[in-house]
Amino acid sequence: MSDALSFLLLPFVASVAFVLIHAYLGVHVLRRKVVFADLALAQLSALGATVAFAAGHSPSSTAGFAYALLFTTIGAALLTLARRLARFVSQEAFVGILYVFATAATVLVVDRAPQGAEHVKRILLGSILTVAPQELASLAVLYAIIALLHWFARRPLLAISGEAPPVGRSMFAVSIWDFLFFLSFGVVVASSVSIAGVLLVFSFLIVPAVIGSIFSSDVRVVLPIAWGAGIAACAAGLAGAYMLDLPTGAAMVTAFTLLLVLAGIAKALVFVGVKERRAHLRFAARSLLALALLFTFASSLWLMVNPTADQPLAALFEGSTGMGPAHFLSAGDRDIYESATRDMARFQGEVDQLNAREKRARFQAEPLSDEDIRRIASYQQSFNEMARGERFVQEVLRGKARARERWIVGLPAAVIALLGLGWLARPHRWRHSRRRSVESGASRNSIAA
Amino acid sequence: MPARNLGLLITAAALAVASASGAISVAPASGAISVAPASAALRVVATTTDLAALAVAVGGDLVSVESIVPAATDPEAFEPRPGDIDKVRRAVLLVRVGLGYDYWLDTLTKQIGDKRLLRGGDAYLDASAGIPLLEIRGQSVMNEGGHAHGVANPHYWLDPENAIIVTAGIAEALVRLAPEQRQRIAANRERFLAELKKRRQRWSERLAPFAGVKLIAYHNTWPYFARRFRLDVIEFVEPKPGVSPSPAHLSQLILEGRKAHVRAILHEPYEPEEASRLVARRLDVPLVLLAVSVDSVPGTSDYLSLLEHNVAALAQALSPPGRQAP
Repeated sequence: MSDALSFLLLPFVASVAFVLIHAYLGVHVLRRKVVFADLALAQLSALGATVAFAAGHSPSSTAGFAYALLFTTIGAALLTLARRLARFVSQEAFVGILYVFATAATVLVVDRAPQGAEHVKRILLGSILTVAPQELASLAVLYAIIALLHWFARRPLLAISGEAPPVGRSMFAVSIWDFLFFLSFGVVVASSVSIAGVLLVFSFLIVPAVIGSIFSSDVRVVLPIAWGAGIAACAAGLAGAYMLDLPTGAAMVTAFTLLLVLAGIAKALVFVGVKERRAHLRFAARSLLALALLFTFASSLWLMVNPTADQPLAALFEGSTGMGPAHFLSAGDRDIYESATRDMARFQGEVDQLNAREKRARFQAEPLSDEDIRRIASYQQSFNEMARGERFVQEVLRGKARARERWIVGLPAAVIALLGLGWLARPHRWRHSRRRSVESGASRNSIAA
Repeated sequence: MPARNLGLLITAAALAVASASGAISVAPASGAISVAPASAALRVVATTTDLAALAVAVGGDLVSVESIVPAATDPEAFEPRPGDIDKVRRAVLLVRVGLGYDYWLDTLTKQIGDKRLLRGGDAYLDASAGIPLLEIRGQSVMNEGGHAHGVANPHYWLDPENAIIVTAGIAEALVRLAPEQRQRIAANRERFLAELKKRRQRWSERLAPFAGVKLIAYHNTWPYFARRFRLDVIEFVEPKPGVSPSPAHLSQLILEGRKAHVRAILHEPYEPEEASRLVARRLDVPLVLLAVSVDSVPGTSDYLSLLEHNVAALAQALSPPGRQAP
């Protein structure tokens, strides 16, 4: 376990640092409604790093950073321009174009550089799992400086992020602040993308800020919520990646999204009045039920129409009841089906066993001759062919079973689903007339009493 | 196809900007073996630099050889360019790795539609024919066109003995196309095989002290190499190509590596290094960059120097004085 902890500690500390600065910047970005600006800036800085790489500088060298910074500055200037051009081109479109251009240019430059593919992969996926202590230290210093700058300039920065067309300020002053904002934003994103990758940085930036803004519009409330939620998501994502054996970045992005869904549910069900909560709960239950019934109805129809195709309903039924296709076959067919299943596993096992034997022989005792290897390979090919044959038998029989199942499972399921849908969709009047009659009865009783 | 058109437009714009500003200076594309065509030379096109190098060894100055996938890129993630269609169309002999490794070639030749270039055609050579294949997979749902080693492990050229089989195939095809050159082709191949035999002896001696040594590799690239030189690759840093390893897998890897006394981590030059570096650091063993393809590492400009490099790099990393933390 100590191994696991030592593995996850650095990535966790790094992601906390990322969340602290990105969630704050995310609040700005959400207010400015330029959600994809981070992708554009990150990609531009990646383009800079790639150009440096193609010119023979390592991405972690000073020259590499200088190139990235130069391209980020250009990006910040272009994004500043976007606000002034907003009358002609929508900011979103402008940001999008910037992003695709930077990505395409990166691909083109990489194409000319030896070992460029590795570079592109790293930008997209990152590798937060392997963050080094030195990287973390320099990140902390960089983020502290930027956080200080933003603290001193918080009033003008928040003001220009908030108002759609800034009033009471000269356009020049707004542009200067815009540029400074995008520049600091770009520097942060450029540094984090090289470690965490584009996908994860986007999650750091946007998801916590969205969670915060679900609950409040006051920055002083939004920020602590965003930070808390972001750190919780990082912890959950890293722990999940470890326990379920998942790729780290993807697991963390999923954890962020799940937390957002949970926050949405909490907002609808917990942070509301009693009456509203009941209404929301009823609505949620009804829509879930309707979805489930619709799915059941559609897939039971599908089962009746085409029993031999992929059948989610039948597979679900078989999986949950433990009644495989064999239960719907005649005794003879069932024997064939079961022996096909057994044989398939056996052939598979033979192939694996031969592979293991060959692998052992690579370094133990007498090496196998090429002829031995060829013989093993041809055995394996035949076992594979035989396994494929058994699988074919299985599929035919499964089709046969499903053809019976469609009346035993499909028809009742369709009828039940249809009845259920009818009950859900019963006229509004109906539903309330009963309650009203009960209520009036109650009042009559009370009068009588 | 609107997406593709958009891509082209953006590409064109990017090119224009790049050339106009002159800001982007790039190193020349490395790899892509191409031998200057002699007059009336046979035009051989190979999908990888390795097969190209072997074709050069057999064809000598009778052939002009071009390869398609640049060295030092991931051949399984390769995307053909417009120029490649032209290259393939004009090929007198097309040599491929097969086994799903260069599956993209099928769509290319189908698009060209020339019967010569299709499976069974006169100009078509699958170099995997006759190779003793390792690690044949069970259940391959995606047979053709599937990524990730659909049939057997495709990295067979990394075993020097297999070069004998591959060059035999190339020689046979060349003789079929230019029967009058039979003698010269046979002589070229003999010369190459004699040199190969000599060096093969030396390589085996050099690696003999390390027989049975335990290694961890980034991808499953080395079974043929391991079989020939009697190495034991026990695990992989990234078992599923393209899916970055999970923390659980890495810590398991380190645990197993410690238990098995792993002596080095093998790494391909075009893959991200972080994870391999981490494992190497934790196990306190060297990280060895081995070349998968001719020209993917400096000083591996032909087939023999490719193997020479790999043998030397591995032997050096495993010898006690060369043992240092990366």
